[in-house]
Amino acid sequence: MTNDILVLGGGIAGIQSSLDLAEMGFRVHLVESLASIGGKMAQLDKTFPTNDCAI
Amino acid sequence: MLDVGRHPNITLLAYSELEKIEGEAGNFTAIIRRKARFVEEDKCTGCGACTEICPTSVLDLYNEGHAERKAIYSWFAQGIPSTHVIDPDHCRVLTGKKCGICQKKCEADAINFDQKESILELLVGAVIVATGYDVFDPAKLPEYRYTQLDNVITAMEFERFLSASGPTEGHIYRPSDRKVTAQIAVFEKKVKKSQKALDRFEKNHGQDSVEFYSAYKAGSLNANDDLEKDQDKWAKKYEAHLENATPLEALKEKAKGFTSAKNLAFIQCVGSRDLRFYPFCYGYCCMHSIKEAIIAHEHDNDTHSVIFGMDIRAVGKGFEVYKVRGGNNSNISYKRSRVAEITKNTDESPVLIYEDTLEQKVKRETFDLVVLATACEPVKSTQKIADTLSIDVDAYGFFKTQPADPLDTSREGIFVCGCAHSPMDIPESVAQASSAAARAVQAIMKKNNKKAS
Repeated sequence: MTNDILVLGGGIAGIQSSLDLAEMGFRVHLVESLASIGGKMAQLDKTFPTNDCAI
Repeated sequence: MLDVGRHPNITLLAYSELEKIEGEAGNFTAIIRRKARFVEEDKCTGCGACTEICPTSVLDLYNEGHAERKAIYSWFAQGIPSTHVIDPDHCRVLTGKKCGICQKKCEADAINFDQKESILELLVGAVIVATGYDVFDPAKLPEYRYTQLDNVITAMEFERFLSASGPTEGHIYRPSDRKVTAQIAVFEKKVKKSQKALDRFEKNHGQDSVEFYSAYKAGSLNANDDLEKDQDKWAKKYEAHLENATPLEALKEKAKGFTSAKNLAFIQCVGSRDLRFYPFCYGYCCMHSIKEAIIAHEHDNDTHSVIFGMDIRAVGKGFEVYKVRGGNNSNISYKRSRVAEITKNTDESPVLIYEDTLEQKVKRETFDLVVLATACEPVKSTQKIADTLSIDVDAYGFFKTQPADPLDTSREGIFVCGCAHSPMDIPESVAQASSAAARAVQAIMKKNNKKAS
């Protein structure tokens, strides 16, 4: 038995899940196939509806 | 992003893939393959000196192919981890050629061409699948001529153009114009080189190349011994020079009229709400087109955008206000139509053929640039991931879930969120990711409680 959690994908969804779990005190292994996390959102300039910077 | 890299409870395994998973909820064994970066993660400081010096340029997919990166690179400047990676398909050393210049330059001694991939075994209680989506390939719609017309681009490409850190530093230069500018740069380099050779001849013989060549051709050259020796060589060099200088002048003349794109068309539902491809609405393209038009207008107040859509679906919190504000303040017109075809005119400007449903007339309208709001589709490796995890996919290729348990996959202990679940925007992905985290904790606690009782 283990309490560790595996998250597959380092886009905005994977990042948010990982941070939530980590804050709750669980150990998270975040696997991303590219060289760095960020996913599609890191390619965006700004986000709607607030025009906040995506990165 | 930065928080993920720093959080003591998160082990970040970038440049890695899941190979295999065995066991059951509360007790999975996952095999992770860590691909060889050829850069030591614990040594690399991410300074980027290697990237500056690397002689090999490769198409940069982060910038959707509109810029180049080096064979040693970081996915993007602010990427976490900042550890660089060597592209084994393009690196000179890894393709058997002589180089290794990055290894000499690296002060941290982080480059390791002998690095091998490694296998990591992890014990986990639950799994969250957040593998995202792919952008639909608009080449599948022959009527929009995406592959033939330079100035028809996807929304993701346009997003990179808008970015200050993108290939055009936030200016909206048309791809066809950028192609010409790139050609000019290539010719200029060649002309500069051939001009140097001509300069030497001109200096030695005190004569202008143009004069010399016309006399040479006319056979009226008053040649002394020195010139006689050089004349054929000089003439040949001059001819070679002209081969580059003539097209260069023509291209420069063409480039004089180039300005940034000010007249933009956005075409909605490319690949979605289309029975040939995905019949459903993927929910966020109306909004990202409005956003892109607003940002383009912010950058250049002369920009005018027309959004062509069957209807504008602004259903999220604050979205309708955003749409109206775009129309009122950002010079956006919304046109109810489904564009039938795109062609081009002589200056590479795309021409849209569409029916104006209000006037019930077929119209032709010319724009500087067309942006296609391409559908959100399952990642190409979805089936492979599904097979590895032994979970089901639905009819469209997203991971299968049940309406009553929207984040549970067909295997206990494995949950899904974000666009791997179904198309959704960022706020929804974030909300769903938090839900998936809660579901994963529940699954683990349930197993723990069972064991205790």
